[in-house]
Amino acid sequence: MSTNASKVCLLGDFGVGKTSLVARYVRNTFSDSYLTTVGVKVDSKEVPLADGAVRKLVIWDIAGKSGLDALNMSYLRGASGLLLVADGTREATLRSAVDLLLQSRSLLPDAHAILLINKLDLVDRWEVAPATLVELRKSMTVIETSARQGDGVEQAFREMATRLHA
Amino acid sequence: MNGPSVNDRISPELERQIGRLLFEKMQPLLLEFDRDWHLVNLHGDAALFGFAPDDAATSVQQLQDLFLGMPMEAAIDLAFVQMPNGRNAHVHLMLVDGGHQVLLIDAQGEHDRQQAQQQVGNESFLIAQQKDKAVRQLRQIRSELESQRNRLQEANALKNALIATLSHDFRTPLASIFGYLHLLEEEPDAPLETRNSLRALRRNANYLFALAENLLEYARSETRSSLLAPVVTDLQMMVEDLDQMFRVQAEDVGLGFSITLDQEPGEPPILDELRLRQILVNLIANAIRYTQSGSVRASLAWRGGSLVLSVRDTGVGIAQEASEAVFVPFNRAGNAGNGGAGLGLSIVKRLVQQMLGTLEFESKLGKGTCFRIELPDLTHLVQKVDARAESEAGQMLAERASSVLIVDDDPDMSHLLGEIMAGVGFRVRVVADATRAVEQALADPPDILLVDVELPGLSGNTAVFRLRAKGYRGHVVTISATPTEEARKVALNAGANQFMTKPINIEQFTRAMLRVRRSD
Repeated sequence: MSTNASKVCLLGDFGVGKTSLVARYVRNTFSDSYLTTVGVKVDSKEVPLADGAVRKLVIWDIAGKSGLDALNMSYLRGASGLLLVADGTREATLRSAVDLLLQSRSLLPDAHAILLINKLDLVDRWEVAPATLVELRKSMTVIETSARQGDGVEQAFREMATRLHA
Repeated sequence: MNGPSVNDRISPELERQIGRLLFEKMQPLLLEFDRDWHLVNLHGDAALFGFAPDDAATSVQQLQDLFLGMPMEAAIDLAFVQMPNGRNAHVHLMLVDGGHQVLLIDAQGEHDRQQAQQQVGNESFLIAQQKDKAVRQLRQIRSELESQRNRLQEANALKNALIATLSHDFRTPLASIFGYLHLLEEEPDAPLETRNSLRALRRNANYLFALAENLLEYARSETRSSLLAPVVTDLQMMVEDLDQMFRVQAEDVGLGFSITLDQEPGEPPILDELRLRQILVNLIANAIRYTQSGSVRASLAWRGGSLVLSVRDTGVGIAQEASEAVFVPFNRAGNAGNGGAGLGLSIVKRLVQQMLGTLEFESKLGKGTCFRIELPDLTHLVQKVDARAESEAGQMLAERASSVLIVDDDPDMSHLLGEIMAGVGFRVRVVADATRAVEQALADPPDILLVDVELPGLSGNTAVFRLRAKGYRGHVVTISATPTEEARKVALNAGANQFMTKPINIEQFTRAMLRVRRSD
């Protein structure tokens, strides 16, 4: 196995846009239709880094749930990075993302974690307040993303790759 | 009765048949690897899971990635993993001597069933959430609209109250200004410069008066429907008064001015005098304002129970397309810059409607405008007893009056009234509040009590009521800055014989006092 590869899992409530984020990042595509994920979809992409190195991300798009069950826990094994995804238009999904992070810590205490607040293109409908994000940023990296328009997506995966490479 | 036989063991043949059935159903693919993950052997349909035989390295790498980071010490099970071709499989990693075996079992059917169920559940949840959110937003919007409407209503009420209060409060000082102007204009030896100054003062006081009246009328119309106040109207006096009011103003800007009355003999008309005066003031003031040269001619004709008045000017005229807009409040129909608040014609139209009359006008741009208004007699609305009582009271006053007690907290106003009354021979006393008025009127009853309604402490009406209750029988004239029918009724009910509004018509007032002196 490649030593320059890392497993990164996307966790978050259903409908927050995990599959769309991966599709945007890996294939640069987007679909408006919602199709729920059952189980897991695994993709990979090599990320060239600033120092010339290349980090391969093996990206696990795990079915959306507000809590971790045994099945999802089994998918997390071996992950080095966690991308927690929330939907800015549904504040409850932010609480789910934080809960999922806390639950996953028992299995992955050292995994790098980044919080993505998706659906930036619908920012006029956001329930998540800017002040909340300011507070969250004091304890973790938070990136606003739009799978539809691509904003923040490349940045999020690159940031994860950089951290895993360090 | 014999039941079915039970066997603990399945026969080898049956076991083989079941195995074959399951194998066909699950379509497994078994891949055997050595320690270094080199593919050694493959059993099953590789194409079913998207493994290309000619690109085995890529497929193997994708399988390897599934176990990235996992400890390779025990068997690993991964359920519902999407394969490179999109098909879903359960993946089992088994450790065997000298390598690994990866078993893929087709899970597409089960995946699709679960996905369909999950899809419905998730979509229902999302729709319900959106619906709740929309309902919350609608409630919030409704609540905001309601509070906005309340704020607007409050602001509107405040605005109307402010306008009404301001214009009401204009009346008392205006009454003083007009009164003193009158006294000064009577001076026969005043130098030309003083006369010119007085003309300017009267011109501006007229404007202020008309503006205050219009604002009051505008605010009043928004708060309640105006009640008509029909009274016996002295058209001759009104014509003289308006002539005095506007002649100087017109002549100062080089305009010819006339106002005439054609009145058939008989019963005097009963009209809403205040409103009629307001109509004429507005029309004439407008005509002078919008006429650069030429003349302004007003005429009143009382015939057959109706009053026809017209105001004709040789001014700028009104464009055809502005013929409606001129009656819109605060709209000057393109004549901005000529002064005025833009209320005049809207007030005129409203007053004419209130008085059950008709209004029409003809105009030619650059040639001039002629307004023609017809107003019916309002006799049918008059409580004749009141009119007769006032008339009889006036007659009684004329026969016996010789002393007057003036009750007004405005020293300018009380001084002015005192001057006028003293000028026609009355013995004058002045007090500034209702309590002292009651004391003095009871101690030395005056023939006439001139009392302002708005006094500090007790109101003028209360003072009149108390005096009447204690047997005072003199003639009471109540003066108020509130020109409404209600105010008049309240004053008369309190015991007043006459009700006058500020600014009082000094000419009319003086002539009435003179009549009193003549009859003594």
